Amino acid sequence: MDKAGSFSGGRRYTNGEITVYWKPDACVHASHCYRELIDVFDPGRRPWVDMYGASTGQIIETVNMCPTEALAWKWNEEEKNKTIDADQTNHINFRRPELMGSGDDTPEEKPATVKVMPDGPLVISGSFTMHYSGNKKEVNDSIISLCRCGSSNHMPFCDGAHRKVEFNDK
Amino acid sequence: MINDPAMEDKKEFKSQATIEIIDNGPIKITGRILIRDSKRDITDNPEEVYLCRCGRSQNKPYCDESHKK
Repeated sequence: MDKAGSFSGGRRYTNGEITVYWKPDACVHASHCYRELIDVFDPGRRPWVDMYGASTGQIIETVNMCPTEALAWKWNEEEKNKTIDADQTNHINFRRPELMGSGDDTPEEKPATVKVMPDGPLVISGSFTMHYSGNKKEVNDSIISLCRCGSSNHMPFCDGAHRKVEFNDK
Repeated sequence: MINDPAMEDKKEFKSQATIEIIDNGPIKITGRILIRDSKRDITDNPEEVYLCRCGRSQNKPYCDESHKK
């Protein structure tokens, strides 16, 4: 199975055996990857990673050379990720522990978070689409605050009125 | 000169949820969401939820149709 795609902050590529995570923001252009393994890591090609350009062993070896967390890898078979030697420097255990436990089929994306503030508004963060009074608003990785007390003069958004009306969130 | 692979990625909008403000009614939220209400110790990830915005629900944070009364 060949699953590739986006995850939060980058892309991932797989050959069915391992998955390589790429986080462009972290790259310092040390250039080990394409000097060592241009058949896999070719910055002049789109997509720039071809997971079938070399053996799994060669890919792991090259990813481990990356001095940053820009390239990290894991076994697709989760069991194998539990016992990883420390010399596998760029295994996600060491470089991107936040990626541990993320399945192959679900992209690493956070759900939108809805926080109910005590005696206050709803604070919604993340990426979501809003529909109100015939308007459509796309909120991309940001935060909004919605009235919950019924007294805002800036509906549907919170304007702080809950304090004046002493909204009691029973 | 080698192209910078970082140029390949543009930040795209990926909506996780849809929030619908119902006129004279509650807030309807669908999609991938996580609700946290620390006061009532609620943590939930429903597929669809209606939240009170009139302030009168007896079942906050959820809507109980009190706005119609």
